[in-house]
Amino acid sequence: MVLKFYGHPFSTCSLRVATILKEYNVPFELIVVDVSKGAHKAPDYLKIQPFGQVPYIDDDGFILYESRAIGRYIAAKHRASGPALLPDVNTETQKYAKFEQAASVEAWNFDFYASKAAAELIFKPMRGLTPDEARAKELLESLENNLDVYDKILASQKYVAGDDITLADLFHISYGNLLHSAKHINLEDTKRPNVARWWKDITSRPSWQAVKGGVSSSA
Amino acid sequence: MASQIYKKFQHLLQSSPPSSSLQAHSVRRSHSLPSRDHYIRTTITMAIQIYGIPVSVAVRRALVAFKELNVPYELIIVDAIKGENKSPEHVQFHPFGKIPYMRDPETGLALYESRAMARYIVNKYDEDGKSGLIPHEAVAAAKFEQAAAVEITRYEPHVNRLAEELFYKPRLLQLETDDAVVTKSLAGLNQTLDVYDDILSKQKYLAGDFVTLADLFHLPVGTLLTESVKLDVLTTDTRPNVQRWWKDISSRPSWVVISGDRAPLA
Repeated sequence: MVLKFYGHPFSTCSLRVATILKEYNVPFELIVVDVSKGAHKAPDYLKIQPFGQVPYIDDDGFILYESRAIGRYIAAKHRASGPALLPDVNTETQKYAKFEQAASVEAWNFDFYASKAAAELIFKPMRGLTPDEARAKELLESLENNLDVYDKILASQKYVAGDDITLADLFHISYGNLLHSAKHINLEDTKRPNVARWWKDITSRPSWQAVKGGVSSSA
Repeated sequence: MASQIYKKFQHLLQSSPPSSSLQAHSVRRSHSLPSRDHYIRTTITMAIQIYGIPVSVAVRRALVAFKELNVPYELIIVDAIKGENKSPEHVQFHPFGKIPYMRDPETGLALYESRAMARYIVNKYDEDGKSGLIPHEAVAAAKFEQAAAVEITRYEPHVNRLAEELFYKPRLLQLETDDAVVTKSLAGLNQTLDVYDDILSKQKYLAGDFVTLADLFHLPVGTLLTESVKLDVLTTDTRPNVQRWWKDISSRPSWVVISGDRAPLA
């Protein structure tokens, strides 16, 4: 049975999952959850995703939510038939540890600030609310400081977990792109040449190019 | 301060046989600092070196995995309260200038991020997955990752801000609490814990019926809020399943030993 992907074409977390589905050419059916109408907070929805968020997947009856958990599940399940985005925890224990380090860095040093800045500067106006400019400025400053650290890290390795691309790199794309496109940060800034190189590399992957305009059911 | 830390560890060093969960470990000051090189080594020479301070919530988050599996370690003091973590000699190992970070002399691996460190310890020392702390079977593993992701997105951001406003700012930084942030974070945390209560009414732990790292990752900041700030969000009768789960995980011997160590604040 084709994987059912409950999400939204433009939701950042849906884009995160869609990118990984594309990496492994996993066929899926997108079932749009109309978040603008609050469909994700409806009682029937909450029975499945109790935190009231998108996306979740239904893989032949197995329900999973949290975009990064879904990404890991897909990468592990299709390991044999796709790119090596997840080191093998048994045979590559140290490389895997560096992946977990990078995944944690993405969550705490990037997404923590990027998602909150996006909430202030992009999502609030979309809902007719006034952004907290001071808070947004603080968040972006912290993000910029951390990107300076990223530049040092990426000076001696190609990707965030080492010299091979992993899910940890791909996890950055959807929020990074949202803020970069709206010109709140510049991920191609020449003052951070390594970040620029890395950003151009990961966003040029066919998987992201296929979904960046919006997710739709795969062929 | 160093002598207080060593005093705290005396009882562990004298009384515990190596095989107990109260495994002795040694503590020493980072030798790049100008202090006498006092240290007490009782562990095997290949002990993993962890850099930080015992009272740090992130250090504790990593240490709980060591304790669960009786993996010996050597805690080398990097006094984050004094800002030692931002000095050049430490930033070279942790580019974001935080604690903890670790070095495994056996493999040469250097690692930071407490959750990554905990996962590494479980992956390395429990290859067969017998402890269940990180499940191996595909569905159980996915549910573990789901619970671990929820901890990061739905729990930690709120408890982190509450700890900052209600503990670190007033007690360490002499800054005023921002009540608006507290109100918002409490609301978010309560929302999350309401969902947890429902999940935990159907299964014993967050990823299923066996305890995993996803449960244990909640312990450090949760304990700080419960015991030092006296919030009852995790212990309230109104969420009996969360109450049961919290009591269970916070009474694990591995956690009791770690959380008892308040150096250097005690």
